[in-house]
Amino acid sequence: MSVAVEALSYAWPGTTNGVADIHLAIAPGELVAVIGPSGCGKSTLLKLIAGFLTPQQGRVLLAGRDATGMPPRARELGIVFQAYALFPHMTALQNIAWPLSIRGVSRTERHRRAAEMLDRVGLLAQADRLPAKLSGGQQQRVALARAMVFGPKALLLDEPLSALDATLRVEMRDEIRRLQQESGIATLHITHDQEEALSIADRVAVMREGRVLQCAAPRELYTRPASRAVAAFVGHANLWEATVLDATTLSTPIGILRTQAHGFAPGDAVAALVRPEHVQIGASADGSNSFTGRLLRDRFLGSFRRLDLAVDGGTVALETASDITPQAVFIPPEAVQLLPAD
Amino acid sequence: MAFFITALYLGYLLAPMLLLLVGSVGATWSNTLLPTDGLTARWFLQVWHDRSFRLAFITSLQVAGATVVLCAILGAPLAYAVASAGHRGVRLAARITYLLPVAAPPIVLAFGLMLVFSSDALPFLGATWVLIGGHVVLCLPYLLHTLVADMRHLDLPAQELAAEALGGGFWRRFFDIVLPALRHSLLSGSVMVAALSIGEFQLSNLIAGFLNRTYPVVLLQAFYGATGFACAATVVLLVLALIAAITGALAARGASGTKGLAG
Repeated sequence: MSVAVEALSYAWPGTTNGVADIHLAIAPGELVAVIGPSGCGKSTLLKLIAGFLTPQQGRVLLAGRDATGMPPRARELGIVFQAYALFPHMTALQNIAWPLSIRGVSRTERHRRAAEMLDRVGLLAQADRLPAKLSGGQQQRVALARAMVFGPKALLLDEPLSALDATLRVEMRDEIRRLQQESGIATLHITHDQEEALSIADRVAVMREGRVLQCAAPRELYTRPASRAVAAFVGHANLWEATVLDATTLSTPIGILRTQAHGFAPGDAVAALVRPEHVQIGASADGSNSFTGRLLRDRFLGSFRRLDLAVDGGTVALETASDITPQAVFIPPEAVQLLPAD
Repeated sequence: MAFFITALYLGYLLAPMLLLLVGSVGATWSNTLLPTDGLTARWFLQVWHDRSFRLAFITSLQVAGATVVLCAILGAPLAYAVASAGHRGVRLAARITYLLPVAAPPIVLAFGLMLVFSSDALPFLGATWVLIGGHVVLCLPYLLHTLVADMRHLDLPAQELAAEALGGGFWRRFFDIVLPALRHSLLSGSVMVAALSIGEFQLSNLIAGFLNRTYPVVLLQAFYGATGFACAATVVLLVLALIAAITGALAARGASGTKGLAG
């Protein structure tokens, strides 16, 4: 089963906030994460697909069929909410069995299937506990099991991990990925945590101001961002406003940068992107693309350090595993990517 | 100091009740600080054998029972409608409307009922069901207020959204999610309604018929007779009210206990 939206637009009444002209297709078994700053429209997108909001334009397709006007309960979607929204007066097992009861599954059968689902999320021992007696991570698992037990057409996850602490978050995101792959279900995962998105998604859609800027596999999104905004949002980046001088030279606030300016003409305004891990310590043989400066910040991050070097006209961020405190850094020409200026 | 004030207040609160208890078992009580001539069960027996008191007691129980049931049946869906109204203006208007009977003195309602039901077209003044209707109007706001406050506290909209996404239609959501979530406040609110209905005097005194006077209405007349009799009759009402209050407190404690765990 698949989920798709076509030319989907929605503006919150009396505002220009919302989403505009969204095209997105999630194939069966695929996990697409949507990331973006708060207010970018990612939650609105989820509400539109879930049917809690009706789009002003465009269509929602579930398993190839137009579901735009369908009420939420007819859409057969498994939704996990940020605050889980478990039913507090029902035990873990009863919570999971409830959607089956709605669908007229017999008592013994729904008990069996709910227990099976609880076992899959590793909580069979807690079957008779009320949500209040479960930890945050356990509640999350129950919510996930409840959303998947009735074989939904797709899974919608609305920032499901934001209420958990950091270690549990990493554990749970792998758990979500495992369950999702086991059942081969199309999944939309809304998050503001880019690491979470990059680590478990097949594709990541970056949203800003109601639009999808780019939707691509995590590696592609990182290595070939489509725009300056995507580059800035995904991962760490050195981004400089630059002007193309000729086919191999840029003028930037920190000085002249040599690189291949494919696809741009002299005089074009561009954004020059250099990922911090590509910046090297020392100077180049001919002295080009080399910068000297003063160490501004030194952050120890375990296997590497993230350094900011203050140079004339700006800052160069770099990541290195070495212990050296650099005075000079060097940007290999092939590490520079040119993006259209916004 | 705080202890002293509390003790003083409790004394002020409890002294009349204690005097009632003493008076109800005292043989003679006239022009002395306390009753004289020893203890007696005479007054309680007199109340028990008095036909008008027994009738009134039964009427009060009937009216209170019917009022509780009607309030619960009306209150849960009404509170749900008020709490889930989309527009803030609608919610405000609903609150003002349902709190009106609290603001307006019962005597206003009684006069209204008297005007309507003493006409030739609707000659029903004095009927038990008019009494019940009046009590429902007076007591419902208190139940609604308890329920609406609880609903906001429970974050029901999020649960309902989840239930709807899981495929639950309106009635399934109402009976499986909303009602169980409200069970404690429904219980404590109902006990409050029972207590209010049992003790209601102003309205009942004006619209009750001769054969279906409620207990507090008959009680007033007891004070024209022997002091001991009046005390015993009042103690009966006091016990009823106490039972209602204790049940309500226990129900409320149960509710807050659950919430404490959830939070």
